[in-house]
Amino acid sequence: MQTNNSFSFHRLMLLFKQKLIINKRRYPLALAAFSGSLIISFVFAQTINNFGNWSNMHYVTTFISVFVIVGIAYSAFSFPPFRSKEKSMVYLMLPATNSEKFVFEILSRIVAFIVLMPILYWILANLEGAVFHYYFPELTNYKFSFRDGFLAIVKDGKFEFWALILTLQGILFMFIAPFAGAGYFSKSPLVKTLLTFSIIMLSYFLFAFLLDKSLNLEGLHPVGKNLIFFKDGQTVIKLMGIGMVIVNLSLLAIAWFSLKEKEA
Amino acid sequence: MIQIKDLHFAYPRQEVLFSNLSVRLEAGSITGLLGKNGAGKTSLLKLLTGLLHPISGELSVMDHQPRKREVSLLNDVFMVPEEFFFPSISIRDYVKAYTPFYPRFDHELLDRILIEFELGNERKLQRLSHGQKKKFLIAFAMATRCRLLVLDEPTNGLDIPSKALFRKILAGSLDEDQLVVISTHQVKDVENLIDKIIILDNGEVIFHQTIQEISQKVAFISGTSEEREAAIYSEAVPGGYRLMVPNGYEETEVDIELLFNAITNGHKIG
Repeated sequence: MQTNNSFSFHRLMLLFKQKLIINKRRYPLALAAFSGSLIISFVFAQTINNFGNWSNMHYVTTFISVFVIVGIAYSAFSFPPFRSKEKSMVYLMLPATNSEKFVFEILSRIVAFIVLMPILYWILANLEGAVFHYYFPELTNYKFSFRDGFLAIVKDGKFEFWALILTLQGILFMFIAPFAGAGYFSKSPLVKTLLTFSIIMLSYFLFAFLLDKSLNLEGLHPVGKNLIFFKDGQTVIKLMGIGMVIVNLSLLAIAWFSLKEKEA
Repeated sequence: MIQIKDLHFAYPRQEVLFSNLSVRLEAGSITGLLGKNGAGKTSLLKLLTGLLHPISGELSVMDHQPRKREVSLLNDVFMVPEEFFFPSISIRDYVKAYTPFYPRFDHELLDRILIEFELGNERKLQRLSHGQKKKFLIAFAMATRCRLLVLDEPTNGLDIPSKALFRKILAGSLDEDQLVVISTHQVKDVENLIDKIIILDNGEVIFHQTIQEISQKVAFISGTSEEREAAIYSEAVPGGYRLMVPNGYEETEVDIELLFNAITNGHKIG
């Protein structure tokens, strides 16, 4: 029988099944611990706000903080077998293609988090709100909705295409950067990834500063405009959007080649 | 099954381990890979299984390049490493999680070997001793029915009865289309099991012969200091000497340890 050496959906499903069997005790515990922590955080924050001053915006702010922090931490633990040589050996010799293992990691680490985390948050926020409203009637704004969050992206009822692209790519970057770092670095991937990006950003700003000073670019400002080289803000957002797409694709390529060339 | 030609390999920022390594192995044998510490036995096994990538040269396993880690090769190759990892699950769950990836997996054989090794299906892998974990891994490896089985120090950590069981199971469970490569320092554990010996030294294959060929050329006997004169190689043992002598005496079992010492000390057996 001819074996498919490119990509098999069946083997991808086997990877999911394997993950579920191995973690069948750990996942419910992690879910319970996360839900419990989140509910305690809501109660704590609502107590500080004296219940009555709690609003939907507080839920959104909390959501963004949790989404970013937990998301980065969760993505930074992608490719968990790479943390030890023994686990790496088992993982690399498992009969599934690199593309299946790569897609599995993206789906289980990034896509699953982005899809499931807001749903879980929405359920827990409304559940906690309803329960606490019963005991503390002064908690009047207890029904959480993501609508306000989306309204911040949509302007005048219309999608600003490149602003949306930039926002989405920015969100994806937060997950893809630690994901690539977890594939590239074996030990302490999150710390090393943050350090790497800090060095890149500092180098960039230093370079831009020196360029600005040495070429005296300040003199190029058109009268009454803050933008150099570009006609308007839309062009800047468009270029930044394209730039973020390229950066994210490059980071995914780094993660892919790290997996493909990984040795143990 | 395995063809290596002019293989060149070095770890990053380290001296060259293999330069122009060449060897060829066919299915239907249990090959012992011997060598001093640091000779590159484990590295060679990892190169065969795609866990390390050669710098240059030809390396082919079942007409695949292991570094590509194609599924058609991976589901026909299983390695039992010296140090290994098991998730914190039961044997039953491990079998459920891993066997679907091996199309030739033989559940009956696994059950039979587990019974012989006295390992129950419900036992948690993390709660087993190192030796018990190794026995499970060997049993799993055998049951995959992979055509290439690579065992790195398989008897390390096994108790004496388990070593005998290991030999019995390995010898009795193999098909003719399978090749087993065993790297070990415990040569006594694999005597009467392996049918081919490869000795690695300084990154080269300095010896590669079947047990039959060795038996035809030399004999291994105990003797006195007078008989020592005629020996190719000798070692003092309590009460006399162990001698490797040209054949002409009765056919003897191959003393792999004596043979290894003779070869690595520069002696040849023709």
